[in-house]
Amino acid sequence: MDLDANRSLLVTAIAQTAAGDRAALQTVYRLTSAKLFGVCLRILSDRAESEDVLQEVYLTVWNKAGVFDPGRASPMSWLIAIARNKAIDRLRAGRIGRRMDPIDAATEVPDAAPSAETVLQSGEENRRLHACLAGLERREQAALRGAFFDGNTYEDLAQRMGVPLGTMKSWIRRAMQKLKACLER
Amino acid sequence: MSDINDHSGPPNDDLLAAEYVLGVLAQAERLAVERRVAREPAFADLVVSWEARLLPWADDIAAVAPPRDVWERIAATLPVRTVRTAEKPNGMAFWRGWAIGSSALAAASLAALLFVLSNPAPRPLTAALDGGGHRHFVATLDPQRAQMLVMPAAFAATAERVPELWLIAPGDKPRSLGLLNAERAVSIAIPANLRTQANAQAVLAVSLEPPGGSKTGAPTGPVIAQGKLTNL
Repeated sequence: MDLDANRSLLVTAIAQTAAGDRAALQTVYRLTSAKLFGVCLRILSDRAESEDVLQEVYLTVWNKAGVFDPGRASPMSWLIAIARNKAIDRLRAGRIGRRMDPIDAATEVPDAAPSAETVLQSGEENRRLHACLAGLERREQAALRGAFFDGNTYEDLAQRMGVPLGTMKSWIRRAMQKLKACLER
Repeated sequence: MSDINDHSGPPNDDLLAAEYVLGVLAQAERLAVERRVAREPAFADLVVSWEARLLPWADDIAAVAPPRDVWERIAATLPVRTVRTAEKPNGMAFWRGWAIGSSALAAASLAALLFVLSNPAPRPLTAALDGGGHRHFVATLDPQRAQMLVMPAAFAATAERVPELWLIAPGDKPRSLGLLNAERAVSIAIPANLRTQANAQAVLAVSLEPPGGSKTGAPTGPVIAQGKLTNL
């Protein structure tokens, strides 16, 4: 799909959703539900929970469409933030197990480029982010991945990587500062 | 961050926003961050900036089609909503009309709702008004009510000139639809003599005009953006 055309359709459909148009919410759903379901599934690893969260996500879109500002954020970014936050809330509620298998940064594959199936939908911003992630130390990359894709907390990550909590906080905070500096270069 | 080697103490606001967006905070800390986002615009800006930096990582996640019944569950549970007019106080009569219609829908049975949704009124038209590599405005036209809503996107205002919207039907000269606003959505009633021309064959254009708009009835300043009306 033409990403720009998609973006303009989404911006319009979200504005109409803000006005109470159910068909417009359905348009938003058609354009974005597969992506947002993938995001929820990645964090929750549970289909039934992810379906519940997806339902919450679009109810939130229905209620909050009026505050979306297309001059401030892209519509996909706004929607993915809602989906991630709802999925993390659900994970923190603790009814389902979170991913806790050990992470060994030495044997982890360094931050990989997107898989073949997702490369077509990856944008320029994704490529820049990967270029900057590749400049981080392996253990930093592994920690950020565990947080972003598995929804792990500092405590979870300290346990999975076998380091003290303070060390994990240092790694992640330093990595985020390096990432920001790289992206702004 | 005074000491680059010690990152284990309380983070500054920018790092706190980063931690929130990365998803690494425990729930109590997440809720505290969300309360600040709701109250402190400057802090909310930090979160939005981190979302712009990090969320493109989600491109790596493969899309997975949800089961068909998820949409039905959503449609069945959409609450009746009171219309929020306070957020966008200007020119919202058109949307208010739609929203009242939707409240009535919500009160109807689900069966009736599905019937209505499958037999919709004429679909709205939309136009993305682009120029110079930027999206300046997004226009949406409700053909049934002959009302157009034009939202600013990346349009940057200047003090000297104002954006004016033009409707151009095939073979016709530009007809003014009125002035736009860089700060807020503007609702425009399509004049009766132009209603049949405001269709999917027409183009919308934005020119920069002196304050008050073009005095000649035709664009006098540069056309900075245009876009075709298309069915949504």
